Amino acid sequence: MKAVLKMASSNGFENHHGCPSNLRSELDKDLFAVGSSADKEAFKRIYLEMGPKLKAYLVKTGQSQSEADEILQETLIKVWRKASLFNPAKSSANTWIYSVAKNARIDRIRKETRPKPDPEDPSFVPDPPETGEDSVNRIQDERLIRAAMQVLSSDQAQIIKMSFFEDKSHAEISAELDLPLGTVKSRIRLAFGKIRNEVEKLS
Amino acid sequence: MTIRHHLSDDTLLAYANGTLASTLSVVAATHLAICPKCRNQLEFIFAAGAAELEVLEPDFGSGLDLSIIDEITQLPQEASSIKPENLTLQTTDEKQVPKPLRNILPCELDDIPWKRLVPGISHYPLKGFANPDGKGALRLLKISPGMVMVEHSHSGQELTLILRGSYIDEVGRFAQGDLADLDDNLHHQPVADTDQDCICLIATDSPLKFKGFFSRLLQPLIGI
Repeated sequence: MKAVLKMASSNGFENHHGCPSNLRSELDKDLFAVGSSADKEAFKRIYLEMGPKLKAYLVKTGQSQSEADEILQETLIKVWRKASLFNPAKSSANTWIYSVAKNARIDRIRKETRPKPDPEDPSFVPDPPETGEDSVNRIQDERLIRAAMQVLSSDQAQIIKMSFFEDKSHAEISAELDLPLGTVKSRIRLAFGKIRNEVEKLS
Repeated sequence: MTIRHHLSDDTLLAYANGTLASTLSVVAATHLAICPKCRNQLEFIFAAGAAELEVLEPDFGSGLDLSIIDEITQLPQEASSIKPENLTLQTTDEKQVPKPLRNILPCELDDIPWKRLVPGISHYPLKGFANPDGKGALRLLKISPGMVMVEHSHSGQELTLILRGSYIDEVGRFAQGDLADLDDNLHHQPVADTDQDCICLIATDSPLKFKGFFSRLLQPLIGI
């Protein structure tokens, strides 16, 4: 048995009232408002901003128009219901909503629930308590990531795009590009290594 | 528990995209439950995907339907389970196995009805969790202290999570919580290196290849 201090920081609160200091975009503020005060106007703004982007993503990954609409609706329901679990210290609202959509899509396609870690599980090991400085480092800044992704070679960028936008498995990518599976995997590892390095340099 | 061996980025990407074989996903999720570092890496991969979202042309379809907003906002919301004022001392129960695995075990880890493969090595196949293509397997493996596993390599991917004890092989030492993310073409021969049984959760997405003539003969019998 190991005792771990489960910090309030795992919910992104730096102070005990009002807005946490790490709401960095309008979308972050809106999602936080949906979670903390069931703000319907904020939810509508999220829909207007993210709906068309998620729809484009879902169609691009091979869903039909009607499937994409259904998954989008499921996503919106989850965003509304689970907004209080959004942790601005860990991810941006954009990433959080994208993950919700991705998971909704995967659960539908796989026709089974993919196993996921559950923070309520007694065996779950929570994040270690952080100092303010660490917590800044932990936020995954998409702006920096997008800039960092520019340094990828065209070979690496292509594989990352096929993974994210066509949701192809490594084996499918290997067949389509006529590359050994090991090469596909090592390119992915190199690509993320490069992105991470570049993000560190830029931040 | 200090975790030294982690999921690789290509495995995390496949998990994030839902393209990782079901058997491998169970092991990945079980490790993620106890490894904040891998959860952070996974978050990084999601953030990279979300960043890519920005370059897509938004799809307005046949126009935005605002009526669903009214419908959805009628639904009850889930309360956050973690209140900022609740600075509680949470204990992580290391005796139990994490939920993604516990959900598919018939009993506690201590009560598993092990099946002996060879002296000193037993296993417990977790059936009913096959990959759609029928290949690969998920099993628990128990290696007695000092026992040497048959040397083998993989035609696909193998993920091994150490639940109890430890082992050592050509790659390094793997202890409780560590995850060995092994690619094809690696030959390895794990040895349980403490006085405790080493219990691991192993998933493959294709059959193992055994090196020796004798162990190849055994393969159909033990069914790994």
